[in-house]
Amino acid sequence: MTEQIDRALQREYSAGFVSNIESETFAPGLDEDVIRRISAMKNEPEWMLEWRLKAYRGWLEMEEPTWAHVHYPKINYQDISYYSAPKSMKDKPKSLDEVDPELLATYEKLGIPLLEQQMLAGVAVDAVFDSVSVVTTFREKLAEAGVIFCPISEAIEKYPELVKQYLGSVVPQRDNYFAALNCAVFTDGSFVYIPKGTRCPMELSTYFRINEQNTGQFERTLIIAEEGSYVSYLEGCTAPQRDENQLHAAVVELVALDGAEIKYSTVQNWYPGDENGKGGIYNFVTKRGICHNDAKISWTQVETGSAVTWKYPSCILKGDNSIGEFYSVALTRGMQQADTGTKMIHLGKNTRSTIISKGISAGRSNNSYRGLVRMNSSATGARNYTQCDSLLIGDQCGAHTFPYVESRNPSAIVEHEATTSKVSDEQMFLCQQRGLDPEKAVSMIVNGFCKEVFKELPMEFAVEAGKLLEISLEGSVG
Amino acid sequence: MTNWLSSAAQRGEAIHDWLAPRRQASLRLLQESQWPTRKTEAWKYVPINVWERAELSTAVASNIEAEPIEGLNSFDIVIRDGQLQADTLAAAWPEGLQVLPLASAEAARLDWAQATFAQVKPERHLFGLVNDVLATDGLIIDVADGARIERPLRIVNIVNGGSEAHARVLVRVGSGAKVSIVEHYVGNQLSQSTGFAEYSIGTDAELEHYRFALQSGEAMHIGGSHFDLAERATLTSNLVAFGSRLSRVDMDINHKGEGAKALLNAIYLLDGKELFDLHSNIEHAVANGTSEENVRGIVADNSRAVFNGRIHIHRHAQKTLAELNNRNLLLSDRAEINTKPELEIYADDVRCAHGATVAEIDKKAMYYLQSRGIEREQAQIMLNFGFINELVDDMPNAVLAEWLRPQLRQRFAAMEVK
Repeated sequence: MTEQIDRALQREYSAGFVSNIESETFAPGLDEDVIRRISAMKNEPEWMLEWRLKAYRGWLEMEEPTWAHVHYPKINYQDISYYSAPKSMKDKPKSLDEVDPELLATYEKLGIPLLEQQMLAGVAVDAVFDSVSVVTTFREKLAEAGVIFCPISEAIEKYPELVKQYLGSVVPQRDNYFAALNCAVFTDGSFVYIPKGTRCPMELSTYFRINEQNTGQFERTLIIAEEGSYVSYLEGCTAPQRDENQLHAAVVELVALDGAEIKYSTVQNWYPGDENGKGGIYNFVTKRGICHNDAKISWTQVETGSAVTWKYPSCILKGDNSIGEFYSVALTRGMQQADTGTKMIHLGKNTRSTIISKGISAGRSNNSYRGLVRMNSSATGARNYTQCDSLLIGDQCGAHTFPYVESRNPSAIVEHEATTSKVSDEQMFLCQQRGLDPEKAVSMIVNGFCKEVFKELPMEFAVEAGKLLEISLEGSVG
Repeated sequence: MTNWLSSAAQRGEAIHDWLAPRRQASLRLLQESQWPTRKTEAWKYVPINVWERAELSTAVASNIEAEPIEGLNSFDIVIRDGQLQADTLAAAWPEGLQVLPLASAEAARLDWAQATFAQVKPERHLFGLVNDVLATDGLIIDVADGARIERPLRIVNIVNGGSEAHARVLVRVGSGAKVSIVEHYVGNQLSQSTGFAEYSIGTDAELEHYRFALQSGEAMHIGGSHFDLAERATLTSNLVAFGSRLSRVDMDINHKGEGAKALLNAIYLLDGKELFDLHSNIEHAVANGTSEENVRGIVADNSRAVFNGRIHIHRHAQKTLAELNNRNLLLSDRAEINTKPELEIYADDVRCAHGATVAEIDKKAMYYLQSRGIEREQAQIMLNFGFINELVDDMPNAVLAEWLRPQLRQRFAAMEVK
């Protein structure tokens, strides 16, 4: 068994390659000048620059959080380059044909079906290669429906009023250390606007990819769903292999106005580092949504990558009868560390939230669920149900649960349950007895363990997630 | 460091008794300590500044007497304002039982007491350090190997208005021995007290433990009961707490020997503006341990309850079974409950679970009772009782359970359901 585990641990990261695209990259370092340059590169209006500087000044006064159950060497923020753009972007491509073939080949290697496959699948992709959005397809079809789906830098130019109104309204500039940093230096990301009463005609999807060495990625995503609208957004990512740790501090803000619904799904498969924990991505993400009356936000995530994950997609249930959901599968192996969970802040009457979290730890990894459910005194009739299950594979890993429950309303009901177990000998025996090899058996058991979350994913993502888990678990039979 | 802490450290430096060498490490830690703030995880929900701000007036004459509990037939030992009342020590103890004042020459000769002091209690607890440094009196209880002590020992810790008191209890339960110990804390006027007890439970030994944290009103108390369990040791601990202006209890259970069993049942019932904070921590450092923790709380009016229950399974603690559940009833929209059950697990072949719920009194049950002609107030008392009764019934000593019931009833009658 140990051999099998070793083999799994040594498995090459299949997305680990660096493509040779010349990039225009800022020298490492961060000060107000860098922010001014970023803002200038992006042709941003004055208010945007001020907004960034305010965040930066806030960030300078803040301290890096240490409460998470993760350990990593101190990050030198002056060693990071805060801007990198593929050079071929200088004169923006008018169509896909003009896109750097090597870039397209990179996506091809990753199996991202940017062209025909995407068309068949009916998915519009705003692919982010390092910091600049390279290409956006299906723009017209979306435009017909009145949906805006574009890089956030473009939104700042074209829809300044919308951006001004909502940017930072859910995650303010000084929200936390990493969010403040993001506010100061974010270079790109996606902007989505769904007009009143519109059901977005297709699933929107962004593939993130970190490529340039030593570049932090600071994505900013803002999704606004107007009254009674619906959108499903997919986020997936993978990064090439390298030695130095990379910082990723993204911010995602969701605004669901009255009766709107946003479904946000993530498959995260960034480079987790080698078997000794060398390299790998630091994924310090702030994701938060606000629900107005009768609105619903649903976060679904499958986290298998990154060396260190610090991520708590949250819902502020401000409106009456609003709904928040969080479905998560987090798998850690090797030396990975994940501290992830959610916050459900109940403010409105009859608000409801569901949290289903499945943590799987293998190798020498540590996997923590950290969550907060708060029932404010105004949350009459609110309801929460939380279930956190952990599965341990091997005796060198750790599984932890840190749920906070705060209730100030007697009519609110909060239920929290957590269990920890391992793949039992009985289960293995039963499967093997029926002719499954140990690896298949574990894969099947783990898939069953995660079923409740997978069924929340859009179909194509569910397939990908299942496959990802299977690959990640190869040989980790204990 | 605040004035209060530095004054405590200074006073501690001046103490030169037989435990002084043992106090040194704690003194150093105390000197390095910061006063907790809202950002200090262990004090997140507790406005600890009321302790710092409290102005103790001159001590008032005691109005609390240690009444015996009828039918319990216990040895009652009184600690008043941190001073052991020597006249409450029995003239003769049963064979195998030794009870000594902490501040006695005989105590100073006990090697195990030297070795146990401040070693069972985790050093992270700020007020534990304060107690380490300042508690010069208290009690030492030694139960010899194999001794079965029939009569319970009840330590009545009274703190009067105006006083600052620090008392320590050290207990050794020898191999195969059995004993029942009740820590009973009372006080209802403005005072500051810390009360820590450390128990070392030997191989195959059994300890039946009660902590009644019944301080109320303005009495501020911070304390803890801490247990080391050797191989196959058994601990049954029952905590009953009423809140006061500031009340905090830490319960630590350390599985040091394989095959030990621990059961911790806790009840907290808060009303008015009371505050109670329970932190429990169960450390499974070795394999084959079992622990079960049941915590129930009823929180009314303007009161606030905090529960933090941690289970920590170390790398080699395979085959551990650990369960924790915390259920709360919230009776008013001004009351507050903050609960955080924690699991930290580093071994794979274990079965662990925890659960927490917060809800109000079942309206249907209330309606049912009222529709059968039971007055609302009575119905409420019945339902409150129903919520915690299981834990009262489970108390191994039926006399104590009977003694508690009228007090609980009285509490429930005062609570108002909104």
